[in-house]
Amino acid sequence: MPSKDKESIQLLQGTLDLIVLRTLATMGSQHAYQIATRLQQISDSLLNLNQGTLYPALVRLEQYGWIRGTWGKTENNREAKYYEITKAGLKALGAETQKWRTLAALVERVLLEES
Amino acid sequence: MKNLRRFFLKLSRLFTNGREEAELAREIAAHLELLEDDYLRQGLAPEEARKAARRAYGGVEQSKQLHRNERSFQSLAQTVQDTRHTLRQLRKSPGFTLTAILMLALGIGATTAIFSIVAGVLLRPLPLPEPDRVVILGDTLEGSGCEMCAHPRVNAADIQNYMRDTHSFTHLGGYRGASYDLATTGVPRAVHAIRMSGDVFPALGVAPLFGRTFTQAEDEQQQSVVVLSYSLWQSHYQGSTNIVGSTLLLDRKPYVIIGVMPRNFEFPLVPGHVDRSELWVPLRLQPEEFLAGQAASWTFRMVGRLKPGVTPEQAQSDAERVAQATVRDYPAFMRSLRIHAAVKLLQEDTVEQARPLVRTLFFAVIVILLIACANLAALLLVRSIRRRREIAVRLALGARAATLLRQAVVESMVLSFAGGFVGLALAAAALRLGISLLPETLPRIHEIGLNWPVMAFALGLALLTGLLCGLAPAFAAIHTNVNPTLKESGRTGTTGSGHARLRSVLVAAEIAIALVLLTASGLLLRSFEKMRAVDVGFRPDHTLTALYELPQYRYATQARVDAFDEQVLRNLRQLPGVEAVGIISSLPSAGDYSGPAISIEGHVPAKGAGLNLAVASLLRGDPIQALGIRLLRGRTFTEADKDGSQLVALVNDKLAQRYWPGQDPIGKRFRRGMAETKTPWMTVVGEVDSVKMGSPDERTADQFYQPVGQTAVSEGDFATAGELNADYGYILLRTRMEPEQMQNSLSAAVHAIDPQLPLYHIQSMEHAIAGSEAPRRFNTILISCFALVAVLLSVLGIYSIIAFSVALREQEMALRMALGCQRSGVLALILTSGVKLAAVGCVFGLLGAVAAARLLRTFLFAVSPFDPVVLTLAAGAMLLLALAASALPARRASRTDPMLALRGE
Repeated sequence: MPSKDKESIQLLQGTLDLIVLRTLATMGSQHAYQIATRLQQISDSLLNLNQGTLYPALVRLEQYGWIRGTWGKTENNREAKYYEITKAGLKALGAETQKWRTLAALVERVLLEES
Repeated sequence: MKNLRRFFLKLSRLFTNGREEAELAREIAAHLELLEDDYLRQGLAPEEARKAARRAYGGVEQSKQLHRNERSFQSLAQTVQDTRHTLRQLRKSPGFTLTAILMLALGIGATTAIFSIVAGVLLRPLPLPEPDRVVILGDTLEGSGCEMCAHPRVNAADIQNYMRDTHSFTHLGGYRGASYDLATTGVPRAVHAIRMSGDVFPALGVAPLFGRTFTQAEDEQQQSVVVLSYSLWQSHYQGSTNIVGSTLLLDRKPYVIIGVMPRNFEFPLVPGHVDRSELWVPLRLQPEEFLAGQAASWTFRMVGRLKPGVTPEQAQSDAERVAQATVRDYPAFMRSLRIHAAVKLLQEDTVEQARPLVRTLFFAVIVILLIACANLAALLLVRSIRRRREIAVRLALGARAATLLRQAVVESMVLSFAGGFVGLALAAAALRLGISLLPETLPRIHEIGLNWPVMAFALGLALLTGLLCGLAPAFAAIHTNVNPTLKESGRTGTTGSGHARLRSVLVAAEIAIALVLLTASGLLLRSFEKMRAVDVGFRPDHTLTALYELPQYRYATQARVDAFDEQVLRNLRQLPGVEAVGIISSLPSAGDYSGPAISIEGHVPAKGAGLNLAVASLLRGDPIQALGIRLLRGRTFTEADKDGSQLVALVNDKLAQRYWPGQDPIGKRFRRGMAETKTPWMTVVGEVDSVKMGSPDERTADQFYQPVGQTAVSEGDFATAGELNADYGYILLRTRMEPEQMQNSLSAAVHAIDPQLPLYHIQSMEHAIAGSEAPRRFNTILISCFALVAVLLSVLGIYSIIAFSVALREQEMALRMALGCQRSGVLALILTSGVKLAAVGCVFGLLGAVAAARLLRTFLFAVSPFDPVVLTLAAGAMLLLALAASALPARRASRTDPMLALRGE
C-alpha cells in the first residue's frame, strides 16, 4: 500500500514477520488489532501501513508453525482472535534476529566505508 | 522443514476453503469492531467511527485476497472450485453424467484390456538381460516352400558345426523338447522337458533362483543333471531349498538336481498356457542322432547371444559360411539338400505369429474409443448449447474466456477420469475372465495383467480424451455471441450453425467408424461360416481319440511296441458299440504338417524345382474307417500288408492329382527321400479323400499313408538301427455311442495292459476340430463384440443428437404445424435429417472399410475383403439403425401441440 506520507518507510521483505514475532514474544498473546497498534506505536507512526496488510504475515507465520491463533474475548467482551508465539516460533525468532543483526551490521559497515 | 509443513498446509487448505473464508471474515469483522470501538471512545459519531475504522483497516477485499494468496495455491484453488462446481452440476443431471461415464468407461476399459495384451505379448522386452542381443539361429531348407522360414530349425550335426565354427556369438547352444516320465510316488507323470546345450543358460543370461545351472562341459560329458522350473519345484518339493544334490527319476534314470530357475523364467517361450517347460536337462547328443533319417530331420533349435558390436546380419553371414561347409559334408543320401543359415531375434521369433491378431484388436478398440470420444464431445456440445444463456451472461459480466475454457476442460476431465477409473475396473474384470479364453496361439500369456505401465496408459488415455472432448465444446462456448444470445427469448432460437455443423460432423464420423468395424466383423463372420462349411475330409462325429507315448525304458524293442499296440486294438474292439478301431501317427486337425520328401517313379525333378514334401501317416488297425475318410479308389490296408510283403501306400487325391493328373494312381510307385536317397518303391493301392491336417481354413497337404509294419523297410537309408516305429500314436475309436461316454472304457482298455501309461488329449474328434478352429472363433467373436459396441455407441450418438435438435426446434415445429404442415411432413423432415447424416457417414465408412481391408486380409478365409454382400448388408444395417434412432424423436416432434407456438413467448 503506497503511503502518501513522504516520511513513512516501506518494510523490507520478511521484516514484518520478525516484528510480529518479536511483538508476540515480548507482549504475550495479542490480537491482530493490538499487533497493528503496537507496530504504529514503536515506529512513531513512521511505518504507516494498512492494518489489513498484517493478515498475510499472520497466516504465513501460522503455517510455519511459529504462532498459534485462538479465539478469545477482549476486556470489553468483544470476540477477537489472539495470537501467541510457539516454542518453534521462539527458536525461529532467535535465528531470525541473529540473521537480521548480521545483515544490518553488514549494511551499516558498507555505509560507513562509503562515506 | 518449515517450508514442507507450509506446503502441505497450503495443499490441505485447498479443500477447507469454505471454513478458512468464514474464519477470515469473522476475524476481520472482529478487528473492525475493535477499531470502531476505539474511534467511538475517541468521541467520533457512530457513522464516522465506522468509516474511520474502514480507512484504518484498508481494503477489506484486497486484504482477503492477499490472505488467500498466502494461505493456499490460488490457481489450484480455482481448479478445485471449478471441480466442485462441475460435480454439483453433474449431480444435477445424473442421466447425462451416467451416460458419459459409462460410455468412456467402455471405451477406456476395452482399450486398456487390449493394451495390456499388447504390452504383455508384443511390447514388453523378453525377461532377459539385453534381449536385443539374443537370437535364434537355424536353417532354411531350399525347395521346401519356406516351411522353416518362420521358425528356423537345425539338426544335430548343425548344432555341433555352428557351435564350433561360428565367431559371432558369446554363447550359442541347441535345444529341443522332450517328454519324460517323472516318477516320484504312485503313477508316473509325463513332464515337458527341454534338452539343451550347457551354453544356452549363459546365452539367455538368467541366473538360477538358487543352486546352479549346468555347463557345456557337463553336457559334453553326458552328465545326468537337471535344473527345475519354479512351478515344478513348488508342486513337487513344496519349495524346499535343500533339494540341491538330491536325485529324481526321469524315465527311471536318476538325475541330480543342481538348481531351480526363478519364477518368471520361461524357455522356450511357447505360445499358450500348456506345454511350458518344467525342467531342463543337458542336450547330450546321442550318436544315432547324427545318422540316417535323424541326420536329415530338422528337429532342434538354436539360441545364442551376439558378441558386442555384431549385428544379426553379420552373424547370419558368419553362420552361412558354416552352413555351406556343412552342406559340402552331407552324406550321399541327402546330397541334393541345400540349406541356408537364418538369424533372427528371439523376440521376433516369439511374437511373430501373434502380431497381426494383437495389432488388429488394438485398432478395433481404438475405434471404439474414438466413437466414445465423439459421443462425449457431442453430448458436451449439446450441454454447452443448453447453457448458452448462462455463458452469455457470464461473458457479459466480464468472465474471461480462459476461465470458461478452464471450466469446460475441468468438466470433461472429471467425466473422463471417472470414466477412466470405472474403465480400469472393467478392464481388470475382463482380464480376470478373459485370459483363460485367449487362444493358445498367443505367447507370453502369463505376462498379461494390469501393471503400472498399463494403468498409466489408461489414465493417460483418460487425460487425452478429457482434453480432446472438452476443448471442442469449450471453444464453441466462448465463441458465443453475447448480444444476440441475450436478446433471444431463450427457447425459440435455433442454435448457431457452427454448432450444428460440428455436431453433424461428429455423428457422421461416428457412423463411418462404426461401419468400418461392422464390415470387418461381417467379413470375419462370413469367413467363419466358410470355414465351417469346409469339407475336412473325414467324419468327426462319434469318434474318440487319445494320444499315448511309450517310454523307451520299458518298450525298448519293436516287438514290445507292436505287442502293446496290437493288444490295445484287441481290447478296444471288444468294447460294446465299437465300429472301427485304429492307431494313426498323425491326427487330422492337430496341425502336424511335417513329413518326408518323396520321389515319384518316372518323375525327373527339374533343376532347382524344390523338394516334394508330403505328410506321412503310419497306420495300424483301421484308422481310415475309424476316421471315416472316404476311399475314392482301390482298397485300404489289410492284415496281409505287413513287414516282408510288397510295400504299399494309400495317397490322397491331392497328391494323386499333382503327380498323376488325369490318371488312375492305383499301381503307380513312389518312394521316400530325394532322388539320391536309396529307398525302396512303394506301390499305391488306394486313393482317399484329402484330410485337413490343421484347422479347416488352412491348406491341404499332399498325404500318403503306410502300414506301420512296413515303415522301417520303406525308409531304406533313412532308417536307423534300433529305431522304433509306432511307439507313439493316436488311438481312434468309432462307436455307435456318444464318444464322451467311451472315455473311461478307452482308458480302462489301455491301462489293463499298462497301468502306468499316461494318456493325453482324450477327446472327441469334434472337440479336436473345435480346438483347431478356436483362434478364428476367438478373432471373430472379439471383433464382432467390438463392432456391436461400436454400432450401439454410434446409434446412441445419432439418437441423442436428433433428439436434442428436435427439442430445440419444438417451437419451430409447432409453428410449422400451426401454419398447416402435416404431421407426416414433420416426421419426414426429422427422419430425413437423421438419414442424411447416416448416409454421409456410410459413404465415408465404406471408403474406410476398403482402406482397412489390407489389415484384415490375413484373417479372411475364402472371402474377398471387398465382398459386396457384406459391404451392402453392413451399410444397409447402419442406415436402418440410424433411421430407427431418429424415428423416436421424429415421432415426438410430430406430436408437437400447435398451440405451443401460439402460447409460447
